[in-house]
Amino acid sequence: MSQVAVVTHHAHEETSFWRKYVFSVDHKVIGRQYLTLGLCMALLGGATVYVIRWQLAWPETPIPLTSWVPEPAMYDGQLDPSFYNQLVTMHGTIMVFFVAMPILLGGLGNFLLPLMIGADDMALPRLNMMSFWTFFTASAVLLSSFFVSGGPAAAGWTGYPPLSANPEYTGVHGGMNLWILALALEFASFLMGGVNFLTTAINMRAPGLSFFRLPLMVWMQLTAGVLFLLSVGPIIGGAVMLLLDRTIGSGFFLPERGGDPLLWQHLFWFFGHPEVYVVLLPGVGAVLEILPVFARKPIFGYRTIVYSTIIAGVLSFVVWAHHMFVAGIDPRLAMPFSITTILISVPFAIMTFAMIATLWGGSIEFRTPMLFTFGFLITFLIGGVTGIFNGSAAVDIFIHGTYFVVAHFHYTLFPTVFFAGFAGIYYWYPKMFGRMMNEALGKLHFWLTFVAFNLVFLPMFVLGIGGHMRRIYNPLQYDFLKPLAPVNQFITMAAVALLLSQIPFILNFIGSLWFGEKAADNPWRANTLEWSTSSPPPHGNFATVPTVYRGPYEYSRPGAAQDFLPQTQPLPTGAAAAGA
Amino acid sequence: MTTVSIEAARVGERIPSGKLAMWWFLASEIMTFGGLLAAFVLRRFAAGGWEDQAAHVSTRIAAFNTLLLVSSSLTLVQAHAAVKADQRNRVAPYLLCTIVLGLAFLAVKGYEYSGEIAHGFTPSAGPFWSFYYGLTGLHALHVLAGVIVNAALYVLVIRGRLWPRVQQRVEYAGLYWHFVDIVWIFLFPLVYLS
Amino acid sequence: MSDESRFPSYVAIWSWLVALLVAALFCAYVPFGKALAIFLIFTLAVIKAFLVARHYMHLRTEGLLIYAIAGVPVLLLLGLTLALVPDIIFRR
Repeated sequence: MSQVAVVTHHAHEETSFWRKYVFSVDHKVIGRQYLTLGLCMALLGGATVYVIRWQLAWPETPIPLTSWVPEPAMYDGQLDPSFYNQLVTMHGTIMVFFVAMPILLGGLGNFLLPLMIGADDMALPRLNMMSFWTFFTASAVLLSSFFVSGGPAAAGWTGYPPLSANPEYTGVHGGMNLWILALALEFASFLMGGVNFLTTAINMRAPGLSFFRLPLMVWMQLTAGVLFLLSVGPIIGGAVMLLLDRTIGSGFFLPERGGDPLLWQHLFWFFGHPEVYVVLLPGVGAVLEILPVFARKPIFGYRTIVYSTIIAGVLSFVVWAHHMFVAGIDPRLAMPFSITTILISVPFAIMTFAMIATLWGGSIEFRTPMLFTFGFLITFLIGGVTGIFNGSAAVDIFIHGTYFVVAHFHYTLFPTVFFAGFAGIYYWYPKMFGRMMNEALGKLHFWLTFVAFNLVFLPMFVLGIGGHMRRIYNPLQYDFLKPLAPVNQFITMAAVALLLSQIPFILNFIGSLWFGEKAADNPWRANTLEWSTSSPPPHGNFATVPTVYRGPYEYSRPGAAQDFLPQTQPLPTGAAAAGA
Repeated sequence: MTTVSIEAARVGERIPSGKLAMWWFLASEIMTFGGLLAAFVLRRFAAGGWEDQAAHVSTRIAAFNTLLLVSSSLTLVQAHAAVKADQRNRVAPYLLCTIVLGLAFLAVKGYEYSGEIAHGFTPSAGPFWSFYYGLTGLHALHVLAGVIVNAALYVLVIRGRLWPRVQQRVEYAGLYWHFVDIVWIFLFPLVYLS
Repeated sequence: MSDESRFPSYVAIWSWLVALLVAALFCAYVPFGKALAIFLIFTLAVIKAFLVARHYMHLRTEGLLIYAIAGVPVLLLLGLTLALVPDIIFRR
């Protein structure tokens, strides 16, 4: 190893307030901006949950605390059926595109990627800045749709035509167009981000950091980036077609104009399925980083996990029609897509086994990030297993469009976005903000959330098998659903508890910014590169460019002085040189 | 101990970041236009060809447009070659030709649209026309974006600013422009010749 | 490979592109069978695209990674198109 002192950063002139804090090109600032905006949008997404759940539990009574909502959305607390559809639509849209992606990819991904690879910033910092402000604009456009005449989009987050393509069917005109525009901007923003992530990871790794020494979080972010880049194209085309159908009288999807509604579903789900893995993988990445640290053990099956991730990514492109089994597709498509869907559970099962094996025999520290990781493991397991039921066409015929599906995807998405996302936030908060979060509040937040979450979504499987369909405004209009009303009420009460359970987190997140204990460089005694610099890292991230000597998971190595061995720490002279 | 710049200390591929980023972006653009084209091809085949509707597009105008666009690709790659040969004074004229040819393409397209709309061939005239306007419209927007980028580069070149960065950017702008040309190479036969 | 030798090479490619354009027009107007005409026209388009990609976009001198970035989407698209055939073309 040659003796080179590498200069990380040239000094530059003082930048203005706007350039430094608002239009910053520093990936750490941008990461925090994404995280903050994502968490704020989560509040809005949660608010929609309250109204939706209350309506389902007590359909014919006014909803408390909503008398301020004006007509025609609500009539002094009584929910208008169209507004119900709009809330359901916006809940899905906000949570998938404006909460999950900014928190996991824009927030954690942006902040961590350059740090974990020993770079001073992203390869294209100004593109990074533009991506955040495009996302901000997208969020603003989406929020503005609440305030236009006719209200926000009402065709479900999946926006199926003809309902979405002809404004007369929903009564929503401008709001739906704004929805399309907001999504287009969001896609553009994450396209910019994805391009940046991939270019950065390929080009800017520190000396010694080969691909198989990368932290698994980086692998996950990269796979998510590739999946997004390759899958978003058809939906952009579809969105253009939908907008044209709505505005200039074209006939892409409307049968009366010679169009084909099924085409949209194919285009949407060709994107939609890789998209849920785009959301899923970074969450898994966070968990995979946290497990070895809090079990003081190397990750089990590093290469296996990497290969499983790649296989899952590839497979994710050939499963999409499992969302369309009852949409009127050619029945001959049902079997191949059932097979691929069941196949895709295999790499994820392998990853889950690897995670459990990592825990086995470890000295586990039950700090908050680890608790949320456990929460993720248990709930994601349920989510994954119930996916098999949905993925088999024969079973899906009965449970498609019911609350079984809702329960399934909440048992996959919520663990990924919230359990794993919270785990990541609690874990990396010290690095991002220079303060530790309060441990007691964190544990309280975990237990309340974990219990409430399961009380909300486990009964939904029962609802689904009982035939309770999705997206209906008043279950009591169907006699066969009346016996299930108590289940709905129970779920609603648990949902309110789930929402209230986030209060400790909000207090903790904001309060710790000022009152949290100041964080050391490496409070968790971890190996990856971000912990070898200060909390938060300085401008330029590292004083000198780090050299990487080993992989990221050397914990409890026999004969080592401590139970962790950072990637950048050279072994003392006389010992064997850089291990694999 | 010697000091080296951060770039020199990196491991990894030796592809410049801008070029790599542009190719990743083009990968997603392939999927975008490809998705639209695939949808068009499939729907057209399913509906039996839409020949009655398709007969009303002007193959001659579109062929002329193809010639314009292909020639603009030539001029832009010549600009890139001039950059690589460090012949700064040849870069600007080639860039200008590219911009002019691009604008001419758009002008011809506008003329074409106005004729078709005057004859009542609006997007609501049939599914073929929906795809026609959707495909060529989205393509034209991409041409416009390319013209704007090329124009910005042209301004930088004639002012003699940022020469090393301009060298790279001419290549990246070229990649984008050639891609837009390739999209048209597929659009033209699928829309106008089938 | 000297840079000077590239100048005529680009023009030569352009001439091929124009020639292929003319050939495609020829196929469209001369009364071949419809299927044959479409096949020829599309093949010519593929060749033109290939020429532009290889020579103007310099794929000729790029490595495996760039080829993969360019090639995988194309394969993916072919897959998408094929998968949609049963539903879009043969339904009803």
